[in-house]
Amino acid sequence: MAVRQFSGRLSWRPNIAGLVTMAICGLVWEMAIQVGVFDYQYLPAPSAIIRGAGELAASGELITATLHTLESVFLGWAIAVAAGVSFGLLLGSSPLLRRYSLATIEVLRPMPAIAFVPVALLLFGFSIQTELMVIVLPSLWPVLINTMGGLMGVHARLGEVGRTFRLSRAAILYKVFLPAATPAIMVGVRISLTLAVVLAVLAEMVGNPEGLGYAVVSQQQALRPDLMFVYVMVIGLLGLALNALLVGVVSVSFPAASAEFKGPRW
Amino acid sequence: MVKRGELSAFLRLAAAEIPPARGLVPLLTLLTVWQLLAPGPSAYFPAPFEWWRATALLWDSGQLLPAFAATVTTFVEGLALAVAIGAGLGVTIGTSRPVERALGPLLEFMRAIPPPVTVPIATLLLGYDVTMKLTVVALSAIWPILLNTSSAAARVEPLLFDVARTFRLSTADWIRQIVVPSVVPFILLGIRVAIPLAIVVTLLVEMLTSLPGIGALMIQSQRNFQSAQVYALLVMVGLFGFVVNDLFAIIEAIVLRRWPARGVFRSS
Repeated sequence: MAVRQFSGRLSWRPNIAGLVTMAICGLVWEMAIQVGVFDYQYLPAPSAIIRGAGELAASGELITATLHTLESVFLGWAIAVAAGVSFGLLLGSSPLLRRYSLATIEVLRPMPAIAFVPVALLLFGFSIQTELMVIVLPSLWPVLINTMGGLMGVHARLGEVGRTFRLSRAAILYKVFLPAATPAIMVGVRISLTLAVVLAVLAEMVGNPEGLGYAVVSQQQALRPDLMFVYVMVIGLLGLALNALLVGVVSVSFPAASAEFKGPRW
Repeated sequence: MVKRGELSAFLRLAAAEIPPARGLVPLLTLLTVWQLLAPGPSAYFPAPFEWWRATALLWDSGQLLPAFAATVTTFVEGLALAVAIGAGLGVTIGTSRPVERALGPLLEFMRAIPPPVTVPIATLLLGYDVTMKLTVVALSAIWPILLNTSSAAARVEPLLFDVARTFRLSTADWIRQIVVPSVVPFILLGIRVAIPLAIVVTLLVEMLTSLPGIGALMIQSQRNFQSAQVYALLVMVGLFGFVVNDLFAIIEAIVLRRWPARGVFRSS
């Protein structure tokens, strides 16, 4: 008997019932607006959103905003991964360092990402640095924790094997522990990408007035709900696309890591 | 009334959740160096003692407590709503295969939308008020709870359903004895993921709409370039996140003793 998974992620036959439900919801939404059942003044019909998408695509605003958000996501994510893996390797391979820093991590980690926005604005004003600060600090933790945990989870015997072959400490870390910890590290790297997208949008909404996040807020203030919904959908699709891209890249370049990698998304 | 044994067990649990204090050395070193290098007020890096002064000033002005109360109320109510709706819907969806298949793609699609962008949507549709604040927080916190609950409900050992039929359990007994024990650990897992989301979205609503709360206070002090106050609020929000996380870890440990996450799942 097949394992039942939410939305049948394991089964490859198309989920007709699900697609039909979505289509019906879209139709009901459209009809309700045309007939005037909803008395929400600012709820656009799906057809209006599609027209809005065409408008924004033609004017080039959509592309500019998307590129800006993509740039900050990738920059912030790259910094977070580099810093997270480095600190994770340090903490994972040294019990002493771990003893004298775990509590600091536990205190700093639950800091709500958005609390960094005012400080970042204070330090960097309206600039991409503000966005990067808001993206990097919170998305560092999943990489750091997973790298550290991955290293600690490697069986000690593998290290002994390395010593038997008279490998140096650095070589043991690089040739034995790092490859063994890669699946765990990749999980952290993916969580951090998903986070980076959300944080970039967040930073643009209340911090740096550029990109998709700011576009959503400014269309809301301009009372153009149709255009606002276009940006909202683009943000959702961007997250899905980046995640799919990363899963693809990882399953090609680290086949061993990909089994664990596709696990639950939350 | 808490019995003495339970209280000491509770305190032990609380202590077990906090890592040894010697791990605070890097943080304290950083703050000390900061204080020594920049001992006074500054537009960018005010000294940690200035943060303390700013906190006292905020407290004296009478702004801090109402703002904090507003934020905590929204957070708790929004999370409670999300738990109630998310767990209820999750069990309904998870225990029925057709419902699960029909709603799956729609829910996946809605979940793909990052929680922060629901704020502008809700402001347009519902206007600036407390209902909107609650709706937005509940809506963003609901997904992890809903998805964890429904996948747990969908994976209940089918044998247990046969057992329930054999014993002719009533619906109420069936829920109490079979569904709840297998779903509760995963509702908790969902809540743990939802907590930081709910905090972030609560603060975001306050920042974007200037509805009273810590978020509004933060953005206001940043706009007035009161740097010490900005840092002071950052520390307070950080402490709030830390305390909520810790408190929930304790609650989770207590509840999991009653309903441990084992026995009901197939090893897949």
